[in-house]
Amino acid sequence: MSLAIAILMPAFNEKRLGATLATLAEAAIGDVDLTVYLVDDGSEQPIALADLPPRSPSFRIVLAHHACNLGQGASLETARRLALLDPRRDAYVTMDADGQHRAADALTLACAIRDGADVAFGNRFLGDSNVPPVKRLVLYAARIFEHVLTGLRLSDAHNGLRAFSCRALERIPIRQSRMAHATEIKLRVSRAPELVIVERPVSVRYSRHSIEKGQSSLGALSIVHELATHYLFGEP
Amino acid sequence: MTIAAAFLLLLVFGLLVFDWTAQKRKNRRSLWLQAAAFIGGAFFIVFPEHATSLAHVVGINRGVDFLIYPIVIWLVRESLLSRRARLEDGERIAELTRALAIATAQKI
Repeated sequence: MSLAIAILMPAFNEKRLGATLATLAEAAIGDVDLTVYLVDDGSEQPIALADLPPRSPSFRIVLAHHACNLGQGASLETARRLALLDPRRDAYVTMDADGQHRAADALTLACAIRDGADVAFGNRFLGDSNVPPVKRLVLYAARIFEHVLTGLRLSDAHNGLRAFSCRALERIPIRQSRMAHATEIKLRVSRAPELVIVERPVSVRYSRHSIEKGQSSLGALSIVHELATHYLFGEP
Repeated sequence: MTIAAAFLLLLVFGLLVFDWTAQKRKNRRSLWLQAAAFIGGAFFIVFPEHATSLAHVVGINRGVDFLIYPIVIWLVRESLLSRRARLEDGERIAELTRALAIATAQKI
């Protein structure tokens, strides 16, 4: 059975983008059709066409540039809107550009959507992940925080690897421009009880590069601040 | 005049002079408003007993409370309004940047 997947991928000053896209291009074989909606979030050296792997009948890229850096949430929202402009896909997968997510896991989540789920969250603790101890502790606290906030009982928090059906993606606009979008997505999902939610094991491989570039554990405080600001001053 | 009062006066007029010179080529109308508020403040620094007399008229014990209560209320409101405005401006910039990105997206 064929599987048409849209990958929503923000990128900012990402040195490993080429390798990440190459693994996706390799995964687009057989009945798998992949379109990557790549949003360059104001990188100092803008992503050039020459940096990207060539298109093939089953692999293509839609590249958009933000004129200034807006944040990962804003980039995902741009990718979401771009993807919804195109013909409907079987699954829409959000994925980081730094190589910590695997193409095979993106396909696993997409299959969960094809099999009837509306939202598939990746669970890094069930896969072959190498989560640093401090991050593990922060994620445990984040899980409890999100459970209190959304009522959803999930085993992972702030995992960028997740998949949506088209009807779910249409219902999840992202207003949080920076890192709090992960909690916002769960909040919006929790407010749509008709959506079927599943979790699937994924492997998140932390490298020195991804740890240096990614969110620090103190970033959790910024997320709480962003959520509070939007709660007080954002849309009703 | 006490040392504290002299120091406060120095701060008030120092800030006023700094702002006036720093905004040389800009619209200075708001600086006139700032100057009026600062001169009013300087008056009460030099003559605190006038602030106390005014406070007694409206039933407040100390002159400093008479001045600080409304200022704190106003500053809290101003801070909240500024945060809302900053968030709304940020959202407008994001929408504009996004519209441009979508309009110029390349299909490869």
